[in-house]
Amino acid sequence: MSDEMDEIINDFLIETTEIVEDLSQKFVELENDKDNQELVNGIFRSVHTIKGASGFLGFNQMVQLTHITESVLKKIKDGDIPLTPGVMDVILESIDNVKVLLEHIKAKDGVEEDLTGILASLQSVYDQAGAPAATAPPQTIQQVEIPAAPAEDAPSSGSGPTIEELDALMEAQSNMLLRPVGEILVEGGSVTTEEVDDALKIQNMIKESVDTGEVPKVGDILAATEKVSKEEVKKALSKQTQPEKDKPPQQAEQTIRVDVERLDNVLNLVGELVLARNRLMKVVSNLELKYTDNTDVAPLAELTAFINLITTDLQLAVMKTRMQAVRKVFNKFPRMVRDLARSMKKDVELALSGEDTELDKSIIEEIGDPLVHLVRNSVDHGVEMPDDRARAGKPRGGTVLLSAYQEGNNIVLSIEDDGKGIDVEMLKEKIVEKGLSTPDELERLSTKEILDFIFLPGFSTAKVVSDVSGRGVGMDVVKTNIMKLNGTITIETEKGKGTKFLLRLPLTLAIIQALMVGVGTEVFAVPLASVVETVRIDQSNIKTIRGQETVILRNEIVPVHRLANKFFLPMGQSNGGHKMYLVVILVGEKKFGMMVDKLFGQEEVVIKSIEGFSNSSEGIAGATITGDGKVVLILDPAVMFVGDLRT
Amino acid sequence: MAYNTAMKILVVDDFATMRRIIKNILKQLGMNDVEEAEDGEQAFKKLQAGKFDFLITDWNMPNCTGLELLKMVRADAKLKAMPVLMVTAEAEKEQVIEAIKSGVNNYVMKPFTSDVLKQKLDKIFNK
Repeated sequence: MSDEMDEIINDFLIETTEIVEDLSQKFVELENDKDNQELVNGIFRSVHTIKGASGFLGFNQMVQLTHITESVLKKIKDGDIPLTPGVMDVILESIDNVKVLLEHIKAKDGVEEDLTGILASLQSVYDQAGAPAATAPPQTIQQVEIPAAPAEDAPSSGSGPTIEELDALMEAQSNMLLRPVGEILVEGGSVTTEEVDDALKIQNMIKESVDTGEVPKVGDILAATEKVSKEEVKKALSKQTQPEKDKPPQQAEQTIRVDVERLDNVLNLVGELVLARNRLMKVVSNLELKYTDNTDVAPLAELTAFINLITTDLQLAVMKTRMQAVRKVFNKFPRMVRDLARSMKKDVELALSGEDTELDKSIIEEIGDPLVHLVRNSVDHGVEMPDDRARAGKPRGGTVLLSAYQEGNNIVLSIEDDGKGIDVEMLKEKIVEKGLSTPDELERLSTKEILDFIFLPGFSTAKVVSDVSGRGVGMDVVKTNIMKLNGTITIETEKGKGTKFLLRLPLTLAIIQALMVGVGTEVFAVPLASVVETVRIDQSNIKTIRGQETVILRNEIVPVHRLANKFFLPMGQSNGGHKMYLVVILVGEKKFGMMVDKLFGQEEVVIKSIEGFSNSSEGIAGATITGDGKVVLILDPAVMFVGDLRT
Repeated sequence: MAYNTAMKILVVDDFATMRRIIKNILKQLGMNDVEEAEDGEQAFKKLQAGKFDFLITDWNMPNCTGLELLKMVRADAKLKAMPVLMVTAEAEKEQVIEAIKSGVNNYVMKPFTSDVLKQKLDKIFNK
């Protein structure tokens, strides 16, 4: 029983959290579209729903809060209270308190929040309408026996029908409800209403004693108790046009909730299957070469090709089950932008597009914080004050556009504002001032490279530090977080026109394309996403500049790192030590070459994390099992050589 | 008990937690053959497809409200005898009257306990 209760409370938390997230957005929409009755109704219904369920579950504080919020919303709905920004602030605050209460319910800490402040604010908003107060909290499950209606709707609680009157009305009405056969018989004058009711009583009694099987029909009972003749019942039945007994197939539920752990498990199994498939393909292709004349090999190859196809499809299908719309993340932004804009006295509208674009659940979970930072940044640093905008000949209200779309195998999230843009000259001054570079060096860099200084730790261009952003923490964290997701971030800006941040993210994290490389007898996998090219170079091409081995590739100086040194491996002897391969890798804007002995080609690998090993801190992203059954480490070149890159 | 624990019941509410709560209360009364629907429209389809003995519906739902569902049920030749219990919030008395006029068998105000529900069931099925 208590398990059942826990599960219900869990459901309540999940569902209510969804509703609350949705609400924040709806409120902001409402502020811009005050006359949207449908929106008001939806909001009202949501709050009402939370209250209803909270009452059942005995969450008294939640009932108290949602009750008065609902009352205020009702007044807004009825046009008794104008929806001013001030009123909106109070309502939004109440929704924030709902979130706090949800947290307490989740934590099961039994903590009672002090709601006096918000309740008083809501009350005073409610009182604006000049109506009597609605402080009477509605009943909760503990006090349910007397469902005394609070005074919120009726002008005074005395008027209107009482519960007793309603019940009496109910009584009178329900006596008149008749069952079809009985109704027809009554119509024909064969039986009286009372006789039909008696028959129904008998029918119910029989139903009780029988399981689900045959229950005699009302008509049959009437006939059996000799109220009517069988012929009359038959006649009455013939008037019922619908077939009686056939039971069409049940309509299936459209969605089911599945525990994420189960989905993760399925994904893991599919990962294993992909690995096994890779091995199978390798084995079969070897067999094909060896036994070309054997007639058994061709069907095996065919079957393997088929399994290959199915596995790929299965993998995609399973990945799809983990996909969630970015709407989930986007939803919190309208509210956030609204609050930010209000606190900074700016006029900013947030436009969303592509909310239905889907991303893997794990990416959705990680992307929230970086986006919050970027959106804040746009509102804070991007969009100018209304007066400044007017002076620049722009509309007083600024716009931040948050959009998502798919681009090949990537999902692109873009945060674009129509603000003042980034002044590259000022940025350069700042870079020099901070001692991050010299004017000479900056002269040689492209605008894109200069903009990337923004992502360096401790960098902030804001002259005045606001309490919103611009404390110099964040942009580097944003970049690190995006890179952790195998994503990239780029900036496009035009002075006076605005700035656009583009995040490119992979569709999924679990399976990647990798380049298999060899050092000595060891094999490593390098995520293909970071590989620019592979080149074969001669030992003699390597020049040492200030202790760093480098090579010149198409007039570009590229530092070279030996992968063998990282793992304390001897370099292979097979190539005579003169010719070697260089895998050119791009990390952020920096290129470097990773020297290896062999290139094996491209393979699809499933990333398995290594237990008891702090991943990626050492430049190991995980491990995988290759087609020939070997366990291979997956490198994270961005981290592996990051120390060396600082030179 | 005058009602039948084997009866097949459809619970209609747009809030899944609510459906679950009502299901749980029904379970306490020994009734386990319960199906769910999210709104009036879906409920009506289910009612037409399956052989339900009893309908418990919320009032306030998007798309098709409980009242609309009730009216549809009463207007349907096959379903019009279906016993219907309307779940309402407090202070929705006007709605209750409207529901009674439209032929609801009884109503129950949120939140309710299994005892209250039992009383209502007795009233509906003990006629």
